[in-house]
Amino acid sequence: MILHITKRELYDNLNSLRFALTTILLLALMLTNAIGHLREHPKRIQKYNDAVVESLAVLNSHADDSLYKLAQQGPGKLYKKPSSLHFCAEGGERLLPNIVEGGNPHPYSSNIIGVWKLSYPNANIDLKRVGPDVTKVDWAFIIAYVLSLIALLFTFDSLSGERESGTLRLMLANSVPRHTILIGKFLGALISVSIPFMLAALMNLLMISTSSAVHLNIEAWGRLGIIFFIAFLYTCFFLALGLLVSARVQRSAVSLVILLLAWVTFVVFMPSTLASIASELSPSMSFDEKWTQYSQQRDEIWDKYNYVAWSKAVDRKTLTAKSAFFYENAEMSERLNREYLTSKIAQVQHARSITRASPATLLQHLLESFAGTGFERHLQFVDNVERYARQYREFVVDIDRSDPESFHIIGVREGMTKKKVLPEAVPKFEDTLSLGKDFNDSAIQMLLLTMFVIVLLSGAYLAFVRVEV
Amino acid sequence: MITLIRRELLDNLMTFRFAAAVFIMLLLVVATTVVLIKDYERQLASYDTAVKKHRQEMLEERTYSSANLTIDRPPNPLSIFNVGLDKRLGNSVSIEYLYVPTLWDAWKHGADNPFLNLFSSIDLVFIFQGILSLLALVFAYDTLAGERERGTLRLVLTHPVRHGQILFAKYISGMICLLIPLLMCILLVLIMLTTSASIFLSADDFLRIGGVVFTSFVYLSLFYLIGMLISAATRRTSTALMLAMFVWGFLVLVYPNMILTAVKTDPHPDTQTSAYNQIKQIWEEFDRDRLQYLANDPVPGEKWSFGLQGDGGTFWGYRHDSSILLRYDIAGFNYKALKAESEPLVPHVQNYHRFFGTQVTNTAERMWLIRKPALDALYTQPAKMEQMLLKFSPVGLYDAATEAWTGTDLNGLQDFFTAIQRYHQVVIDYYLDNKIFESRQWFVAAEGEIDWNLLPQFSFKRSDIGINAKRALPDLCLLLMINLVLFAIIFLIFVRSEV
Repeated sequence: MILHITKRELYDNLNSLRFALTTILLLALMLTNAIGHLREHPKRIQKYNDAVVESLAVLNSHADDSLYKLAQQGPGKLYKKPSSLHFCAEGGERLLPNIVEGGNPHPYSSNIIGVWKLSYPNANIDLKRVGPDVTKVDWAFIIAYVLSLIALLFTFDSLSGERESGTLRLMLANSVPRHTILIGKFLGALISVSIPFMLAALMNLLMISTSSAVHLNIEAWGRLGIIFFIAFLYTCFFLALGLLVSARVQRSAVSLVILLLAWVTFVVFMPSTLASIASELSPSMSFDEKWTQYSQQRDEIWDKYNYVAWSKAVDRKTLTAKSAFFYENAEMSERLNREYLTSKIAQVQHARSITRASPATLLQHLLESFAGTGFERHLQFVDNVERYARQYREFVVDIDRSDPESFHIIGVREGMTKKKVLPEAVPKFEDTLSLGKDFNDSAIQMLLLTMFVIVLLSGAYLAFVRVEV
Repeated sequence: MITLIRRELLDNLMTFRFAAAVFIMLLLVVATTVVLIKDYERQLASYDTAVKKHRQEMLEERTYSSANLTIDRPPNPLSIFNVGLDKRLGNSVSIEYLYVPTLWDAWKHGADNPFLNLFSSIDLVFIFQGILSLLALVFAYDTLAGERERGTLRLVLTHPVRHGQILFAKYISGMICLLIPLLMCILLVLIMLTTSASIFLSADDFLRIGGVVFTSFVYLSLFYLIGMLISAATRRTSTALMLAMFVWGFLVLVYPNMILTAVKTDPHPDTQTSAYNQIKQIWEEFDRDRLQYLANDPVPGEKWSFGLQGDGGTFWGYRHDSSILLRYDIAGFNYKALKAESEPLVPHVQNYHRFFGTQVTNTAERMWLIRKPALDALYTQPAKMEQMLLKFSPVGLYDAATEAWTGTDLNGLQDFFTAIQRYHQVVIDYYLDNKIFESRQWFVAAEGEIDWNLLPQFSFKRSDIGINAKRALPDLCLLLMINLVLFAIIFLIFVRSEV
């Protein structure tokens, strides 16, 4: 029976105007998305590759010089690898920095130079662009805004419309259980929304994967599969919402008004308003605060080691003190940089978790984490960098330890080995993403979305069972 | 006629959809206004701190060459209606003799956590733009098709009323229904604005808000007419509804985002490098002249420092940003006190700075002649192009017109920076007239501190309401014209259609 109702719904929908309009709209959007991606992505990759090559060249030249140079100058600029699934979710990549710098040793004077530290750049707000602000048409936009609206348009009259026209009574007279009707309607609507979406998405993927400029590997396809699943879950949410309201309300017009207002509230209004309320609740560290702390601690360290800084002696004691001086300073500065970043991240995370009350944001975040873009991805990049920084420091210590003639005092030229370092031996930064980790991180959000869907579906069932026809 | 209007009005007002719409509208508008007022207060607070801080920094300076003149841009209270560019662009700019300040030289004070820009922000116009247009379509889609379906249209037409009258009555009553939530929202917002302690609105501001309301009204009417057109052209209400929803989705949601993703409006890639090279040349010329002067003056050597020694130090002003076409590297000194053996050198240094002052201001002026058109080509023209593309949807027209009213559009912001440029000229003239470049206090602090209060003061008044109106007028007229055309088409379709 379910199959029968589903089929009937499907045939009804396939012939309707809304199906045709949906197909055209989705195809146009996906086409725009593919064109945009094929135009932008090669440039992005090119830029990344050039930057990495340049950064590696600098690193190799340091390795050629000496181990001391490596310990002093650090690994240099470390870049975030652009995701090949950038078209799925843009995720504010324009705003997020794509670099962490491991370098910039503090120059105390022209011949006394400290050691490297990690510095995290701020988000880059473009103060120069004066054009209007728009959302990029990515999959997240298409699914979160357009597909959800379409899902509502397919369900707002599915029960109230039949009630209005009297066919619902007819159907119930045939001793069909109510839940069968509901499930049939739900499946029918889901399939009829999925067809145009799949069509458009597959066309988009076909365009992108056949182009020579973009490479999608197996993992990327796996991620795309998950993204499809999330999109279905999200569509189900809005279909269930449509059925719920449609079951409760007597007239289709009223049902539509309620649904549209709910849509506006969930999708447009909640994400931005909740974010600004939440970000006000948890203030972050200001730059001035950071600066006062920094100058105070810098002075303390300076007072402690003032006696060695200008000393030209090369005995073990002076060198050790010098090295401690450099390292304490770099460590302090790196720690403050990190604290400053952490306080900002905490504020954003706080706001992000509160905006997840809106399913649209939930979808946005899920898509971002599986597409490998956005804020979570940035944090992962920062983690990768920090892991690499530890590895790099260990490498320097290990190499130095392998030379018995060295004093093993890192950070000063006289205290370190004079032996040549093989440039190939120096660890290289590799920005990796792991699907398993992404999956773990977003499992809760996925469950939350599933829960939303189940609650709404059971709500629709209860509403439909109790309502008089 | 009046009976018709009254009938329609009652039909609409007594519905559940009307009540639900008004309720949600008010809720959203109140919540948004609270958030926006809070946000404005925060911006104002950070503006006040910035002004104080910059004033303090200016008073601390002891020499003219290290003068630290920074002007801050106050937030616009009307940005609550349409935030436009007000919050996004730089709001602090320093006045220096080396270049003419522009919007692109400004930086941002009070942006403690720029990562927060990841979240989109909404304003009142955004809410009106989305929800009111949706409501207009929901009210309009069944005005004609519904009556035709039910057969009441035939009934009405049996009476001696003209087609035009029916249309007009329907239009008027529908608009009254839509005006009620709009006006209620505006009134609530105004109450909240006037009771807030930090927001001061002048009489002109109220007129500007009136302009925004009028524009919103015209925008609404446009969507109502689109709804009527669909209703007149279709036989069944369900078809009309679907068409109306998709038209809304396309015009409001999809088109603005899609068109800017599809069309690239990057400026010509050579503009930047060629302008930058020209500017570089100008400064190199300046450097040659300077070195020549140093070679020809009675003090041997080509050093700009003349071997001057004292407490305090030298500074190296260096800014090299090819994206805003700026390049200068100027060295100078700001000594707290001079050593006695350097005293005989002072007249030479003063002479040098007399030459330097006139030369550097001239060079800055020449650089400006290249920079202005180049910056226009790089940033303003693509922005104008994008805005033009958006105007193919009524949403773009509405947004542009309301931005013009509130003064948060590019023109409104440029007004501020034009005032800054004028002020910059006044300060330079003051320097030249009072021979400050060649004064001793240019590089050495004197006994008496510099009275920075003698400097001309900066003041800025937002442009007249007349200018706002003039800027909003083209878009407003376009909106009105589309209204008229739509009405004419509806009339034609309705008259010629069979009932």
